[in-house]
Amino acid sequence: MDFGNYLALIAPELLISISGLVLLLVAAWVGDSAARPISILAALVLGVACFMVGPALFDGASGPDTNAFAGQFRADGFAAFAKMLIYLSGIACLMIAPAFFERLGAMRAEYPILILFSVLGTGIMVSSGNLITLYIGLELNSLAAYVLASFLRNDGRSAEAGLKYFILGALASGILLYGMSLVYGFTGTTDFTLIRAAMTLELSTGALFGLIFVLAGLAFKIAAVPFHMWTPDVYEGAPTPVTTFFASAPKVAAVALTVRVSLDAFGLQADAWRQIVIFAALASIVLGALGAIGQDNLKRLLAYSSINNVGFILIGLAAGTPQGASAVLVYLAIYVVMTIGSFVAILMLRDADGNYVENIRDIAGLSRAKPLIALILAGMMLSLAGLPPMFGFWGKFVVFQAAVQADLILLAALGIAASVIGAFYYLKVVKVMFFDEPAGVVQGRSETGHWVLLIGTAIIVSPLGYLLTIPLGLLADRAAVSLSLLP
Amino acid sequence: MVDLSQYLPILIFLGIALALSCLFVFLPMGVSRLTGSHNPTAEKLSEYECGFPAFEDPRSQFDVNFYLIAILFIIFDLEAAFLFPWAVSLDLTGWPGWITMMIFLFELIVGFAYAWKKGALEWE
Amino acid sequence: MLQTIAFYLFATLVVASAVMVIMSRNPVHSVLWLILSFFNAAGLMVLVGAEFIAMLLVIVYVGAVAVLFLFVVMMLDIDFASMRAGFVRNAPLGIAIALVLLAELVLGIGAYRAGALILGTPDGTAAPLLFESNIESIGALLYSRYLFLFESAGIILLVAMIGAIVLTHRERPAAHRRAHQDIGKQVRRNPKEATFNASPEIGKGIDL
Repeated sequence: MDFGNYLALIAPELLISISGLVLLLVAAWVGDSAARPISILAALVLGVACFMVGPALFDGASGPDTNAFAGQFRADGFAAFAKMLIYLSGIACLMIAPAFFERLGAMRAEYPILILFSVLGTGIMVSSGNLITLYIGLELNSLAAYVLASFLRNDGRSAEAGLKYFILGALASGILLYGMSLVYGFTGTTDFTLIRAAMTLELSTGALFGLIFVLAGLAFKIAAVPFHMWTPDVYEGAPTPVTTFFASAPKVAAVALTVRVSLDAFGLQADAWRQIVIFAALASIVLGALGAIGQDNLKRLLAYSSINNVGFILIGLAAGTPQGASAVLVYLAIYVVMTIGSFVAILMLRDADGNYVENIRDIAGLSRAKPLIALILAGMMLSLAGLPPMFGFWGKFVVFQAAVQADLILLAALGIAASVIGAFYYLKVVKVMFFDEPAGVVQGRSETGHWVLLIGTAIIVSPLGYLLTIPLGLLADRAAVSLSLLP
Repeated sequence: MVDLSQYLPILIFLGIALALSCLFVFLPMGVSRLTGSHNPTAEKLSEYECGFPAFEDPRSQFDVNFYLIAILFIIFDLEAAFLFPWAVSLDLTGWPGWITMMIFLFELIVGFAYAWKKGALEWE
Repeated sequence: MLQTIAFYLFATLVVASAVMVIMSRNPVHSVLWLILSFFNAAGLMVLVGAEFIAMLLVIVYVGAVAVLFLFVVMMLDIDFASMRAGFVRNAPLGIAIALVLLAELVLGIGAYRAGALILGTPDGTAAPLLFESNIESIGALLYSRYLFLFESAGIILLVAMIGAIVLTHRERPAAHRRAHQDIGKQVRRNPKEATFNASPEIGKGIDL
């Protein structure tokens, strides 16, 4: 074994875990007064980690040189693309948190540390080349996420969110483990490449059961219908910075992981899982859109929106081609920007007493009180709906394009038709902000850090984002090719 | 199926333990029954000054600190469980195996230091 | 012969105590039945030659997890009688779900028996690596080939520790904290500093 090479391949993970350990000791000795400096340091660490994955991302690294620890860990271009998104969204969640928690008097030094370890888990997830790595990464990420969800432990809703997330997450882990044990039993290996080889000829019924259970467990993590029930409750109850985190980094990791498992380990049995993915995709789009209509809590609304968006992402996966994988990555990148922008905009809305405004009635006529925030939030909504001038349209476009080229024309047509339902509630938010009588609830100033993030994401989501299409598409293509999908 | 005869000592040990514990429980009862007079009343059977009522609803609210200590116990219990295969296979894994375990222990020692400094191990 | 008897003994006890876990009215009894079930599962593990798993079951599940279950059951103070009240009303739905699960099980086992089974690939990584005992084999793999996953599992344990402390530990305000015992200070005390004579006037106290 060549440990030197392996250590170089896991360098971002090493950096994050060592700094997590050091910052934990700092948190214990200095106490909660150091929460802000620790957050800044954690964000810096993630920034350095971005630079560490940069070379693999730009070279589209692939092949046996990227395998560490006998193929358990893969530092290829695909993992690098997902990690870049994860680290950037981790930085965003670290930036918005201190102001939020300090206002509630609940900022503790453990928040950035838990974010760091959760990000570490997501990084291991997207790099997994083995079912055990997959599970360890998933659990590391989830365990930190359960704690983060109930971080406001004196708040009933936050505690409830954590408990619900934990119980349903444990159930999903059980389903996933059961599926993994079946796959292991029927193929004799947990390594993705060897599973692929063992499934070359025909799929035994037991292995098929295993495959379905594994996909069901992963569908829970990406919140695809019919495993989406936890999403609205958890997104609503968790503190808003934590919700932002849930909607970005773990989502990216779970989607990337699902793509890798489906296309790599189960890649030669695409016919076996394609129907499931198509069903989950259409059901997520429709249910996500219909469920959102009656909501009046903005965070719940965004939760349904995330279910809806996962449906579109799964259309790209259903294509089962490198082009489909590339479309998924492009969509993910745009989605992360949109979702962070939307949540930051919601975080900036406070009433006269400094309480956070989450109800849709309270943002009526926001365009007069806070014109810039209202404008940007409207842009985010239009982009989430996939309306053409905004950048969100491009994500849907590449996904549908991949589906059409994989001869899934009917799926693409249904997806486009269903996206019209989704447009309804996004437009409702825009209408409430711009044309309803002002509720006069939202007041107060916002932090500079929030403005920086909001304007940054707004520029990417605006039509200016189309300047990014070529580099983004190029990177995503390279990343998708590095998955080595050739049969 | 394994050769069960290697578990014979444990079986004998369990048998002796069972026999001895039965002896300790029933012998005094039998001896006192045979030698002393036996006419219990409700007052005689009740707890006297010290001791809790033997039958009551066990579910009462108690300090969440018990739970915290139990969780910490499980974590270090698991850590100890990993030491067994490490100890018996050290001749096969050599220095890399030794370093691996030291890193693992270090991770948990950091956690231990954190728990200690936070005062999670103190009982109020 | 002995193995067969032992297997049926352990298996029957596992199933019987598992049934008792859900049948017993008192949740504390349920936990105790669960412990019995763990013990017998450990016995089954010994029978298939997995001594390490058997030991883990006893140490971790019986020793730690079951204790935690007891704590939780006691702490929650749930009125189980009222929870059972809805049983008759929900029974049809429950039976329907049970039937679906049963059908799945039958289908699964049926397919398993009918399908051509290719268990394991000859060049799979799961090739048996037999040293003297399986605890040694586990060790030989866990601390060399799977060391990255082992260290990651260590981080998971660390996160669990942080999580438990973050969620349940409350810093007491300094006034409520018990005075810190400084043994050195106690030993250094001598009668001259520790005691003094006072002759207070009648009806008045002294300031300490």
